[in-house]
Amino acid sequence: MTDAIVCENLVKVYGDIIRAVDGVSLNVPEGEAFGLLGPNGAGKTTMVSILTTLVRPTSGRAIVDGLDVAKHPEEVRRRIGLAFQVSTADGELTGRENLEVAAGLQGIPAPEARRRIRELLDQMQLAPAADRLVKGYSGGMRRRLELAVGVVHSPKILFLDEPTLGLDPQGRAGFWDYIRHLRKDTGVTLFLTTHYLEEADQLCERLAIVDHGKIVATGRPDELKQRTGGDTVVVKPSKGEDLTQILSAVPGALAVQVIAGAYRVKCDRGEAMVPLIVTACDRAGVEIVSVEIRKPSLDEVFLELTGREYREEGTEHSGWASERMGQMRGGRS
Amino acid sequence: MLRELGALLRREWLRYIRTPVWIISSLLVPVLYLILFGQGFNYPGGPAQYLGAPNYISYFAAGMVGFVALTMSLFSGANVIFDKGLGIVKRQAATPAPRSVIFLSPLIFRSLIALVPAFLVLGLAVLLAHIPGFVGLTITGSVGVLGAFEIVIAVLVLALMFNALFLAFGFALESPQSYFGIVNLLNLPILFTSNALYPPGVGPDWLHQIAEYNPVSLCVNVLRENLFGSSSYYPYIPEVYLLALLAWAAAFISLAVVLGRRALRTP
Repeated sequence: MTDAIVCENLVKVYGDIIRAVDGVSLNVPEGEAFGLLGPNGAGKTTMVSILTTLVRPTSGRAIVDGLDVAKHPEEVRRRIGLAFQVSTADGELTGRENLEVAAGLQGIPAPEARRRIRELLDQMQLAPAADRLVKGYSGGMRRRLELAVGVVHSPKILFLDEPTLGLDPQGRAGFWDYIRHLRKDTGVTLFLTTHYLEEADQLCERLAIVDHGKIVATGRPDELKQRTGGDTVVVKPSKGEDLTQILSAVPGALAVQVIAGAYRVKCDRGEAMVPLIVTACDRAGVEIVSVEIRKPSLDEVFLELTGREYREEGTEHSGWASERMGQMRGGRS
Repeated sequence: MLRELGALLRREWLRYIRTPVWIISSLLVPVLYLILFGQGFNYPGGPAQYLGAPNYISYFAAGMVGFVALTMSLFSGANVIFDKGLGIVKRQAATPAPRSVIFLSPLIFRSLIALVPAFLVLGLAVLLAHIPGFVGLTITGSVGVLGAFEIVIAVLVLALMFNALFLAFGFALESPQSYFGIVNLLNLPILFTSNALYPPGVGPDWLHQIAEYNPVSLCVNVLRENLFGSSSYYPYIPEVYLLALLAWAAAFISLAVVLGRRALRTP
């Protein structure tokens, strides 16, 4: 199988200080759904911007559909589709008009464009709203329109930068269905960034977890989850006592790790461990604030790999000028 | 190239017609200027005082046409800044469309649309001359087809030149504040170093020296010489002023293309 995307030691430095992308190497075979998962500021958007020719890499190589993005940007732009993090549709135009402008910019002749646009509006269930101004669209409709604009020219490779940012869980699940259908119908290669663990789990066949511009792990979602090896019981002592010895002595404890004052006990079955841990602490005279069982999940993988809790913090933009203007300059996220 | 240009011109048009407040105000402002200032500043004097124009209002109205073409261009860059803020320019840059199209489409559209209020002022000024109680522009020359053509080209070139400049600022700058700062800085100096509004003989000599080379003056000279058949008052025939204006436009548009290309270059 040939690779749709290859990155070799990709680096992007902003202003000589910020290493937004710090030596990333990866490859995405044709037809695969690949995800970059990481918190805000991990360098995901910069990666997409480099691969979609919007930002030049400081060093390293990026090959998209066999073409070096730095050397043949126009050819690359012809082959890729892109849905941005923030909707780029023109609010003063209708959904259909936005798609018509997008088709024109791709050089698609008008009759073909009309047919394709009808098809897309149906697929994205935007047909009833097609002739309404986009400024009246809901968040979910805007995301679908953004996706339609990205695929109007039937690209070979589709980049989705945080495709469901700002959607409620229901809207998010609905949007995933559109993407699944799109993949089934077209076999398009998907390169997706997200900071929603569930989204990565749902949509991607393979993932790279990124943090501070570096890839910290790559693999299938289930492979990555298995890395945590069984359940984790998280214990928080009330006065910050050292529990390492007490917990290690509990039968069934495979390993004990301390992250941010919380003790993480690895075990096969968390349910069986909890009473043993509580009894052990009680006997040692240690008061505990909370005991929690965590099943293998990407959250746990992230935490173990980076030593930081994964937080899907609020992502709604405050002042559009500052944030979106930042993105304009090839912003980082 | 043409398909892409067509798509973006259509977008400009759709945005334009969906902003009725902007359309109405852009038409109303020059009309109000003409009625309020024009009527108020109706100084005495004849062709000898006003470079061949039969009266001040005729002189002033011709100048207003150039002034309107200038002011209409001032806002084009602001749209670009807002489009950038909404990610629309980035969306365009991610397509295989030539970069030049992204710059040319607003330039062409904005320059053509500037002609509407500019010639509305001219038409209204002519009309006002026939309404009792108002003063207006009286055409005393024999304009002819060539003259009319020269007038339209002069106004169009002036609009193209300032649109190119202010669009370049729009592509180069990030914040609406800095853009309007520049507009504020340049707008009135460009106007007041031209001969568009103040009559000859008023003001210091150095100002008149500058005004001779001001692109707005050059455009307005083409209008006045043709409208008032007043070649004897000007050192050069209208075609010379038109050529000088084209030279200005060539310089400004080149500068704008350099600035625009730099701004659209992949960072």
